[in-house]
Amino acid sequence: MAFAASVGAQPAHALTVYTAGPGNLSKKLAAGFEKKTGIKVDVFQATTGKVMARIEAEQANPRADVLISASWDTAQDLEKRGWLAPFQSANASRVPAPFKTTHYVAQGLSALGIVWNARSGTPEPHDWRDLTRPAYRNLVTMPDPALSGASADLLLGLQARLGDEAWKLFDDLKHNGMVVSGPNAQALNPVLQGAKAAVFGAVDYVAYAAAAQGEAVKVIFPTSGTVIAPRPMMILNTSKQQNEARQFIDYVLSEEGQQLVAQAWLIPAREDIAIKRASFKDLRLLPQGDAQSSGASRAEVLARFSRLNAAQSR
Amino acid sequence: MNSLRGLSTASVAALAVVVALPVAFVLLQAVFPHLAQGSFAEPFAAVWPTLSHDDTLPLVTNTLGLGLAVAFGTALVGGALGAIRGLFHVPGARLWDLCFLLPFLVPPYLAALGWMLLLQTGGYAQQLTGMDAGAFLFSLPGLVFVMTLNIFPVVYFAVSRALATTGSRLADVARIHGASAWRAFARVTLPLALPAFAASLLLAFTMAIEEFGAPAALGARAGFTVLVTAIEGRFADWPIDLPGASILSVVLAVLALLAFVLQHRLAAGKDFETQTGKPVASPPRTLGPWKAPVIVGFAGVALLATVAPLFSILATALSGTLSGGLSLANLTTAHFTALLGQGAEGLEALVTSLSLALGTSLVTGVLGFLCAWCVVKSTMRARVLIDGLSLLPHALPGIVVGVGLILAWNLPFWPVTPYNTWGILLLSYSCLLLPYPVRYTSAALRQMATSLEAAARVHGAPTGVVLRRITLPLVMPALGASLMIVFAIASRELVTSLLLAPSGVQTVSIFVWRQFEQGSIGQGMAMGVVSMAVSGTLLLLASRLGGRRESAA
Repeated sequence: MAFAASVGAQPAHALTVYTAGPGNLSKKLAAGFEKKTGIKVDVFQATTGKVMARIEAEQANPRADVLISASWDTAQDLEKRGWLAPFQSANASRVPAPFKTTHYVAQGLSALGIVWNARSGTPEPHDWRDLTRPAYRNLVTMPDPALSGASADLLLGLQARLGDEAWKLFDDLKHNGMVVSGPNAQALNPVLQGAKAAVFGAVDYVAYAAAAQGEAVKVIFPTSGTVIAPRPMMILNTSKQQNEARQFIDYVLSEEGQQLVAQAWLIPAREDIAIKRASFKDLRLLPQGDAQSSGASRAEVLARFSRLNAAQSR
Repeated sequence: MNSLRGLSTASVAALAVVVALPVAFVLLQAVFPHLAQGSFAEPFAAVWPTLSHDDTLPLVTNTLGLGLAVAFGTALVGGALGAIRGLFHVPGARLWDLCFLLPFLVPPYLAALGWMLLLQTGGYAQQLTGMDAGAFLFSLPGLVFVMTLNIFPVVYFAVSRALATTGSRLADVARIHGASAWRAFARVTLPLALPAFAASLLLAFTMAIEEFGAPAALGARAGFTVLVTAIEGRFADWPIDLPGASILSVVLAVLALLAFVLQHRLAAGKDFETQTGKPVASPPRTLGPWKAPVIVGFAGVALLATVAPLFSILATALSGTLSGGLSLANLTTAHFTALLGQGAEGLEALVTSLSLALGTSLVTGVLGFLCAWCVVKSTMRARVLIDGLSLLPHALPGIVVGVGLILAWNLPFWPVTPYNTWGILLLSYSCLLLPYPVRYTSAALRQMATSLEAAARVHGAPTGVVLRRITLPLVMPALGASLMIVFAIASRELVTSLLLAPSGVQTVSIFVWRQFEQGSIGQGMAMGVVSMAVSGTLLLLASRLGGRRESAA
C-alpha cells in the first residue's frame, strides 16, 4: 500500500534520463537544467551495460526519455532498431560532423590511452607496443572490453587499423603477463597502488581526475594513434516528453552545459569550449571503423579477445 | 481452525508477490526468448544452445567446487568457534559476537577490494611487513579464503545459538548416567545441534555460489569464472542475452535446490524437542585450562575476518592518495570532509539505506516467522509450497531477482506498480533476505515442544494469541539474530540496487559504487566506513535491548 502513495507522489512532468557516468556530471547537469527550466530530472546512472539491460527489460513499458551512453555503438544499434526520435539541436552547430547524426549527438568525448604510474620505476611508455617490452613484464593491466564500452571501442579501432597486427599485439601483451580485469576503475586501482605499472587502454577522464587528486599517474596518448569514444545522447521515440527531452539536449549542448562536461575532465562535444586537458584535435586518431562495428563483428571481436585471454590464463 | 486457514492463505499470497512473481518471470524469460518484447514466439529456442555451449560445463563445475570449498571452510571455522561459544563460558563472548557480525556489515565488494589493497603486490601488507601475497590472493585458494572469512559467521551464529538454547542440560543428564564427556557430546549435544549446523552449511553453500563481489574481483584475475559472473556478464554485455542469462539462472537455482533437498534428507526425522517450558538453569561450563588457547583462536579469526579488511578500508579512507601509500604525510580526513561537503546527498543515501534495511527486517521478520511456523508446526497442505517458496530466493542471485522484478512489474496492465519507486527495492531485498528468518526460526521451532502450544490452546487461546504469547517469545532469540543479519545485509545490498533503484534514489552501496567508478576510491571507502559505523551502532543498541529483555524474562 505504501508504494501506491509514492507512485502518486511522482511529479507529473519529470524527465527521466538514463545515463552512463560520470555521476557528478549527471547530477550537475540535472540540477542546472532544473534551475533553468523548472523541469525536474530523474537520473538513473549505471554502466552502459546496466543501462542497456534496464532499457531492454523495460521494452514492454519504456520509462526513459533521454539516454546518454558511453558507447557510440549502442546508439547505432538503437537507431537501426528504430527506437530513436530524430532531433537536431540548434546548439549542435558547433559540434564537429563526426560526432552528430540525425538521431543522436555527442555529449562529450573521452579518449583512450596508457595510464602510467610515474613512481613505478619503469621507463615512461610512448606507444602501445612499448608495453610488450620486458620492462613491463607482469606489470600491465587492461579493462575488460566486455565490461567497458570504451575499451571495446579501442579493441575495434585497433583491429580496424592494424588487422592481424592488432591480434599479434594482444598476443604479445598476454605473453608479457598483462591481466585483463573488470571495468576501468578496477584496472586502474592496482596501478595507483604500485602493484602494476600501467593500464593499457584506460579511459582518460578517470585518470585525469585521479591525477588531479594527487595520484602519481600520467595519461599518455600513444604515438601511433588511439581511439576516441564519443558519448551519444539520444531521445527515445517512446518518450511522452519529447519537448522536454529536446530542451534537455539543448541544455547539455549549451555553453553552460558544455562547461560542466569539461569540468568532469571529458572533452566537450563543442569545439568552442576552452579546456584544461588534451583536446581531440591534439590526439592522433586511429580510424573509427564505423562500417565494421556492426553488432556481429563487435561480438566476434569480443569473443576472439576473450578466447585469447582465457587460453593464456589457464 | 479458520484463523489457521487465513494465516496460510495470507502467507501464500505474500510469498506469491514477493518470491513467485519475479521467479516466474525469469522462468518465462528462459522459455520464451522474446518475452521482453511481449511475444511468446519460439519457445525453448534458447535452452539447448545455452546449455550445450562449451563454457557451460566448466561454469557449473567451478561453481560447485567453490561452493563446496567455502562450505567446508565455514564448517571448520564457524562450526568450531560456534560450538565453543554455545557450550562454554567464553571470556568476552559479546565482543566476539560483535566482531563476527561485522563481516556482514562489510559489503562483499568493499571487503574484496580491501583484501586486494591489503595483499596485492605493493599493498598495505607489503608496505608494513614486506609480505607479498599477490599470487595467493588471485588464485582459487585465495578466493576461498576471502569468501570463507566473509561467510563463516552464518554458521557461527546458527551453531552457537542452537547449542545455547539446547544448553548442556541434556548432556549433563548423560554425564550423570555415566557417559564420558566426549560420549555425551558425540551422542547428545552434537545430534541436537545438527539440524541448525546442516541448515547453516546449506546457507553458506548457497551464499558462496550466488556471491558476486569476490568472484568478480578476485576470480576473474585467477581465470576462474562461475555461474553468477557469467550471468552478470550476459546482462551487462551489449547486446544483452536475457534468455541465456535466465537459463543459466535456472541452472544455478537447480544446484541450490539440490543442496536444499540433500540437507532436508539429512535432517529429516532429526527434530528434537528441547524447549519444554520447564524452568531450568543451565549455566555454560567453564573452559578451565583451555581458556588461553580459545581466546587466541577467537582473536586470530577476528583479526583475519574483521580487523584486516576493516584496516584496509579505513587506511584507504584516510589516505590522501593510493600511490602515496601508508605514511603520515599521506594521512588525511579530506575524504570524510568531502563527504559532508557534498551536502545532503551522502546523508540521503544513508537514510534511504537504513530505512530500507529497517523495512526489510519488518517485512521478512513477520513473513519469515509465519512461514516457518506454517511449515514446522502446522499440518496444512500448503506447507510444502510455503517451505519451498520461502527458501527459494537463496538459490537465486540478486541480479536475477532484479530482472525478474522488472519483467514482472513493468507490464502496462498493472493498475498500481511499485516499479520506479523505493517499493521495488523493498520487494527485492525482502525476496532475497526472506530465507534468513525462515531458516533460523524454523530451526528454533523444531526444538520447541508441541505441548507448549497445545497447552495454551486447551486453555482456550486462539491461534493468534498462542503465536504471539507462546511461540514468538520462545523463538525470539533466533528470529532476532536472523533479523540483525537481514538488517546488515539490506543496508549495503548492491547488485539489485544498481539495477532497480528508481531514478533519483540512491542507497549507500550505489553511492560507494559510483565513487569507485569515478576513480575516487578513498571517498567510496569513507562512505563505507560511515555507513558501517552507523549500522553497527544501531545493531549494537538492538542487541543490548534484546539482551536486556532476555535477561528480564
